[in-house]
Amino acid sequence: MSGVARSRLQEERKAWRRDKPFGFHARPETADDGSVNLMKWKCHIPGKQGTDWEGGFYPLTMEFSEDYPTKPPKCKFPAGFFHPNIYPSGTVCLSILNEDEGWRPSITIKQLLLGIQELLDTPNPGSPAQSDAFVLFTQQKAEYVKKVKRQALNYPPPS
Amino acid sequence: MEADGEPQPKVKSEGAVINLVVKDQQGTEVHFKVKTKTRLEKVFNAYCNKKGMDTASVRFLFDGERVNANSTPEQLEMADGDVIDCVIEQVGGGVSA
Repeated sequence: MSGVARSRLQEERKAWRRDKPFGFHARPETADDGSVNLMKWKCHIPGKQGTDWEGGFYPLTMEFSEDYPTKPPKCKFPAGFFHPNIYPSGTVCLSILNEDEGWRPSITIKQLLLGIQELLDTPNPGSPAQSDAFVLFTQQKAEYVKKVKRQALNYPPPS
Repeated sequence: MEADGEPQPKVKSEGAVINLVVKDQQGTEVHFKVKTKTRLEKVFNAYCNKKGMDTASVRFLFDGERVNANSTPEQLEMADGDVIDCVIEQVGGGVSA
C-alpha cells in the first residue's frame, strides 16, 4: 500500500475544511463502526444559482485508487443521473477527470468539485455519454430544461 | 494501523477551544471561538443576533447535514477552522416548472 495517496487525501481533507466553497460538502466515508475510509468520499454539489440546476443538492461519490494522485479519482452521481456528459452508471465524463486528457496531480478536490458544478450547466454536446439527455439537449431544449428542473427537485438540500 | 481522516483534537479536556466559521450564501464569514463542549445553539443565536435574523429563518449545515442546535462541536468532531454553512430556510414543492 502506498502512503502517498493517503497522505495526500489527508492534506486535501485538511485544506477543504479550512476553505470550502459555500454549499459544497465533501468528507471521507465513515463506516458504521466509526472507522474512516479515506479512499471513498461522499460529496454534495449545489446547483449554480441562476441556472436550471439551482435548488438541487447533488450527491456525488469520489473513489480514489492507490495510484492517486497520479491517477484521477472516479466521480459518480447516482445511477441514471440526467446530464449529457454523465454515463448511465452515473460516472462523470470530464476532461480534468481523464488521466489521458486534462488530469494533473496538482488538481485539488475543491477544483474538481467546482469543475463538476460548472459542467452541470455547460454540457459538452461534442462528447455525449448518455443518449437520453443528449438527444433532448440537442433536439428538444425545452423538454431538457424541464427534466433538469424536475431533477433538481428530486435532490433537495438537507432539511 | 488505520490512517484516520479526521485530525484528532489537540486537547481532549473540556477546556479545548476551537475557532468555527459561519459562512453565508454571499460568502461572508463570521468567526467564533467556541468551547468544544458548548452547545452550538449559542453560536447560532449569536450569529443571528449579529445579522439581525430570526433563528427560525435559517438553517446551519455542516458536512452536508443539518446541525442540531443541541449538539456540540465535540459530538460532531469539528476541528479548528471548520466551516458551517448558513442557508435560508426553505420549503420545496409547489414549483411548476
